[in-house]
Amino acid sequence: MLRKIAITLAVLTVGWMCGGAPHAMADDTIQFGAILPLTGPGGLIGTQQMRGIQFAVDQANAKGGVRGHKIEVLFEDNQAKPDQSILSFNKLTDLQHVAMVFTAYSGPSLALAPLATRKKVLLVNAGAQADKLATASPYLINTLPTIGDEIKVLAKYLTAEGKKNAAILYENDAAGISGRDDYVAYFPKAGGTILTQEPTQFGQTDFRPALLKLADAKPEVMLVSITAAALQMAQEYKQLGLKFTVAGTTFLQDPALVADPSSTGFVHTQIRIDAPPELAAAFKQKFSVDMEFFVRQYYNATQIVLTTLDKVLEEGKPVTGETMHDTLFQIRKFNGLIPLEFKSNTATVSIDVNEMRDGKDVTIKQLSAD
Amino acid sequence: MLWLQLLVNGLETGCALGVVAISFSLIYATTKIFHVAHAGIYTLGGYLAWWLVTHGAPSVVALLGAVAACTAGGALIQSQLYARLERRRATHLVILIASLGTLAVMQNIIASVFTPNILQFPIPWAANVVALGGEVRLTWAQLLTIAVSLAAYAGVMWFAHYTILGKRIRAVASNPFLAQITRLQPQSVYVIVVAIGSAIVALPGVLVPLDLGLQPYGGITPLLTATIAMIAGGVGSITGAFVLSIVIAELQNLSLLVMPGEWSIGITFFIFVIFMLFRPTGLFAAR
Repeated sequence: MLRKIAITLAVLTVGWMCGGAPHAMADDTIQFGAILPLTGPGGLIGTQQMRGIQFAVDQANAKGGVRGHKIEVLFEDNQAKPDQSILSFNKLTDLQHVAMVFTAYSGPSLALAPLATRKKVLLVNAGAQADKLATASPYLINTLPTIGDEIKVLAKYLTAEGKKNAAILYENDAAGISGRDDYVAYFPKAGGTILTQEPTQFGQTDFRPALLKLADAKPEVMLVSITAAALQMAQEYKQLGLKFTVAGTTFLQDPALVADPSSTGFVHTQIRIDAPPELAAAFKQKFSVDMEFFVRQYYNATQIVLTTLDKVLEEGKPVTGETMHDTLFQIRKFNGLIPLEFKSNTATVSIDVNEMRDGKDVTIKQLSAD
Repeated sequence: MLWLQLLVNGLETGCALGVVAISFSLIYATTKIFHVAHAGIYTLGGYLAWWLVTHGAPSVVALLGAVAACTAGGALIQSQLYARLERRRATHLVILIASLGTLAVMQNIIASVFTPNILQFPIPWAANVVALGGEVRLTWAQLLTIAVSLAAYAGVMWFAHYTILGKRIRAVASNPFLAQITRLQPQSVYVIVVAIGSAIVALPGVLVPLDLGLQPYGGITPLLTATIAMIAGGVGSITGAFVLSIVIAELQNLSLLVMPGEWSIGITFFIFVIFMLFRPTGLFAAR
């Protein structure tokens, strides 16, 4: 009998330690999760995103945390794969009991959306832009506009510049197809014509056949909707001696691509999000690299989360996905690196048109999707 | 001249695939082992060469170093894994699973050591472009791939038909029981064959990433395509494997002239399914 009681107690203790521990740890540290591509074809951007989150959290902790609670973010590497993302999400929510998870890339974010709805965990996306993300889950918050908004701006700019005949190179996955569909929908509305389109696979590095076929249609501009291996695409474009303009969205915001000579003349839209000089300098001092676009995006998103958390704690509510979600919409307007308002799950902001010139990404125009 | 550029690109891709196919064919026809870990050896070659280049080794030394390491890796897999399993009377299915496991381990180690990010060789001349006839543009890496692949094919043909070791391998492949009785030592031959096949596959393993970059899981697709080429060409036929690899690559490239890229792989392999229905032993199978 005693043995049975001892076993039962042991099982209960282990069960409590593994599954029943609250999201706020014993020392009142509040844990959040982040599922990002830290390695693989999206590793470079994922690392930027991770640094943006960690930088914001370190700053908050240095000031004593949020209402006395230290913040910790548990990073999971999903290599931009939806299946791996689901495993990571279940681990973070079932074992660590986090109330909020940062996400990136459209495929993984769309895969996590139904789980977030079911488990009532707040998902914060500051990098993926597929149109479906806007309505994927009430618990999925997008701190940047969808790709459709950017493409409206890009189409408006390109047709005004006289580049009215376009070919589309797209990745055959959720993000790439979403971008392609937007090009097909909005480029003709802006007065342009889509001549042809060709798919590629995520992580593929041989773009030559697709580029050659697109070039054969003699476009003035190639609209790109790929999220990985953009550098290889640019180098092969250069090697084949192609002359048309290459245009894309934030997906082309890859530091390695910008730095490579083959990308000179590439045009892309991006959401304006500047860091104050002292903040950028502090970041550079800490990580020895510039505070790039996705660093700023995830820094900004983390500030939104921490502001929301502050309000939740101020009101004495428990830190759950539900309270975080409701409080975020209660606050609605945020003034981080950019002013944001959540009229829906997706924020709207002004959009820049940039051109890559000799290793630099230069803003040449600022437009609005409206 | 879209078709001409696609044709030449297809030739380059096909030549590289052809070398993978003849190396796999050599191993499979002799040992009867479906050596899936060959994809791992292919990938390993590229990463070792990249490591040597980034540590200051000249390109040729890096290539030779990768070939040597792959040779040793292949011999190790045959002598320490496949041979041991065969001694324990493991079935071919068990050996296939062991090979799959070896591939997974190799890929994971490579991804851990080198990261799964796309890596590029820091060799600027490889990306320089040569314009042939003003219309066709190829990089030096692509030209080198074609030249080395054709030389590898010719070398393997000569080796198999005109050297004593080549004849010994063909004898073992033809009848291992008779080879055992006549003291041709099939187990030693198997180690030698896998080592040679691994040395050969290191060539495209280095040259293809020189052009397209390195990825830890990049060896599977070439191996699968090469396997299909080997079967369609006729198992045991070096020429069949090499020629069919080029045919597959050309079909994939030239099909873009008449259909969207997303259909090219499906249609190409559909044609091969139909072909295999009419000639299941392969195009170059010995009668």
